[in-house]
Amino acid sequence: MNGRAVAAWSAACLLGVLLSTNPAYRVLVLAAVLAAVLAGVGWARSRRLLAGLGLALAAAGLLTFATNHLGGDVLFELPAAVPLAGGPWTLESLVYGTSFGIALAAAALAMTPLSLMLETHQVVDALPAPLARTGAVLAASLNLVPSVARSFTAIAEAQRMRGWRPRGPASWGEVVVPAVLTAIEDSIQLAEAMEARAFGSGPRTRYRPPAWSAADGAVAAAAGLSLALLIAARALGLLADWHPYPYLVLPVITPLGVAACLPLFVPAWLWRSPV
Amino acid sequence: MALASLECLSYWYPLGQAPALTGVDLAIEPGLTLVAGPSGGGKSTLLRVLNGLVPHFHGGRIAGAAAICGLDLVRTPTRRLARHVGFVFQDPERQSVYGLVEREVAFGLENSAVSPAAMPDRVDRALARAGALHLRGRRLATLSGGERQRVAVAAALVLEPEILVLDEPTSQLDPAGTELVAGACRRLAEAGSAVVVAEHRLQPLLSSAARLLLVDEGRVGTGVARLVGLRRPARDRPTLPAWQLRGIAVGPGPEPVLDAVDVAGGAGEVVVLMGPNGGGKTTLLRCLAGLLRPLAGRVERGPGRVAYLPQDPAALLHRPTVREEVELTLRRAGEGEGAGAVLAQLGLAEFAERYPRDLSSGQRQRAALAAVLAGSPAIALLDEPTRGMDGAARRALVGLVEALRGRGTAVVIATHDAELAAEIGDRVLAVEGGRVVEAELAPPPGAVTVEPMLAQVPA
Repeated sequence: MNGRAVAAWSAACLLGVLLSTNPAYRVLVLAAVLAAVLAGVGWARSRRLLAGLGLALAAAGLLTFATNHLGGDVLFELPAAVPLAGGPWTLESLVYGTSFGIALAAAALAMTPLSLMLETHQVVDALPAPLARTGAVLAASLNLVPSVARSFTAIAEAQRMRGWRPRGPASWGEVVVPAVLTAIEDSIQLAEAMEARAFGSGPRTRYRPPAWSAADGAVAAAAGLSLALLIAARALGLLADWHPYPYLVLPVITPLGVAACLPLFVPAWLWRSPV
Repeated sequence: MALASLECLSYWYPLGQAPALTGVDLAIEPGLTLVAGPSGGGKSTLLRVLNGLVPHFHGGRIAGAAAICGLDLVRTPTRRLARHVGFVFQDPERQSVYGLVEREVAFGLENSAVSPAAMPDRVDRALARAGALHLRGRRLATLSGGERQRVAVAAALVLEPEILVLDEPTSQLDPAGTELVAGACRRLAEAGSAVVVAEHRLQPLLSSAARLLLVDEGRVGTGVARLVGLRRPARDRPTLPAWQLRGIAVGPGPEPVLDAVDVAGGAGEVVVLMGPNGGGKTTLLRCLAGLLRPLAGRVERGPGRVAYLPQDPAALLHRPTVREEVELTLRRAGEGEGAGAVLAQLGLAEFAERYPRDLSSGQRQRAALAAVLAGSPAIALLDEPTRGMDGAARRALVGLVEALRGRGTAVVIATHDAELAAEIGDRVLAVEGGRVVEAELAPPPGAVTVEPMLAQVPA
């Protein structure tokens, strides 16, 4: 799998949810992203992530619903004395918050194939040559993450055996401080190891330039097409924003807007088999 | 002909009052050079001089002269010396950049701008020299410790260096993994490379070494290896049970790593768990500690505190002084005794007011031992306690375990260290293939110590 093809698709999805506040397009992009992730990553590996994103979506919607007291269709009202949540709770805020949550979830999910479907080196290879050194540092940092997580767990367990109990944020210092100090020491050790392997000695080359398969080409072409149509629709005013206030109105849906989102479903079909 | 030569070289770390190396005169030639000495004595500093990490990465002051493969040490940065000197660190997990073996090995070639067309052959050659060609397409995360360390050796060899330096490469490996890495070192040395290895456990490489260096208090001299016989005092079998696992199935996930485990230990008894990396020793200890809930069966422990020493105990340290680390444990355990006794027992009295993370690795490890095992725990669980330990720290550990045994503490030790098992173990349990079975306690094999050849140690 080619990292650049995946990155192009992720970028097209991001643009799809960022270019317009229209919830219809956001739902379409979220559906494309969800289908692609389920096809490429599978339910078992993605279910925790999806559950987390579902929670984030609900939290974003609820926060907007609770704090944004605009709109004419009042569902109920809390006393004004209640901090932040006091005032009218409106249907418009609820719908707007949900739309915002969908955009957030789609944007976050669009980036997951980069971490769940690609090896670290594939992501690094997707970067342009001038960023290759930065990419290597990024890859090394990502490689440290599992050992930092393991170290945190081991320290928490060992401190618990010394009688530590989590009681309030301050008590976590006994775990967080040694974990951070250990992570810093590990990072210095890794930097030392990279230096000892000629890192930074001059221009770099790549072990194997990333290969392009027909499927990668199709994904990149679909992403390019989607990007072009999205920009064209926006320029022509056919990707109109949607404003739910003061009263809820249905979003305007145009054929060009829908056509711009549809190519984003291509990976859902191409990534069905194991990658 | 010497590939590296150091002339009257002294080195001070930044803010260091005393030199880490003092007047070192040394020539590194083809063949295997073993470097021994206590922790904090200057072994790692000496090794880092050979590829320029000292002084270029660590800073500090340097005096004297050093030429590495014809290059002046002070004028040549590490990233350039890396093409002549390969370096393998202690922990394979803390030196890898990529997740795939062949990419990991190729990292040095990418940094040196070797043409992509030439890379696959060189990667294969390096993997073959390290005895790891069969691992080429594997993910690092799926490899054992020994396999990962061999990949690290290949990654160092890929630039075809004249000198290969390894800093305690086998300290975290089981006997099989140790033999894999030691075998790779032997083959390289026999093929004419200069291989420099610093180790605490010398046996696997001693017979192949062309020379043995002893580094202590920053001075480098020739060492003489001596086999010291170990004596194991006869002991009575304990009568009071302290812990028992009945029909235990346990694992970190939904699948058990260990199944149908029925074992028990008594008060004042030292039970040693042995087996390969990944066999389930840590899982068993965590289950016994109550940190891991069994999938089936029952864990029974007598009353009293359980002390648990993790694999990297030094990672725990966070208090401003060593004394405060010990006092924290004692205060939490509600034990009235002072910190002085355990600090003295571990030879840490003079470091009691020092910041623990400023100590040398061996001293730091002893500080962690004191912090975890202070007081009178009913059960002490020790996970790979001799990992990376020098002789002094090891002796301190043995003394502490004997003291715990004397106080009736039930001790369970997971280790690869056959000498430790033979020296202080009452029983050995083999943990392998999902099962835990009683194993024969081997007689103490003896330990290798290194003493200075007095005539050659610089004054």
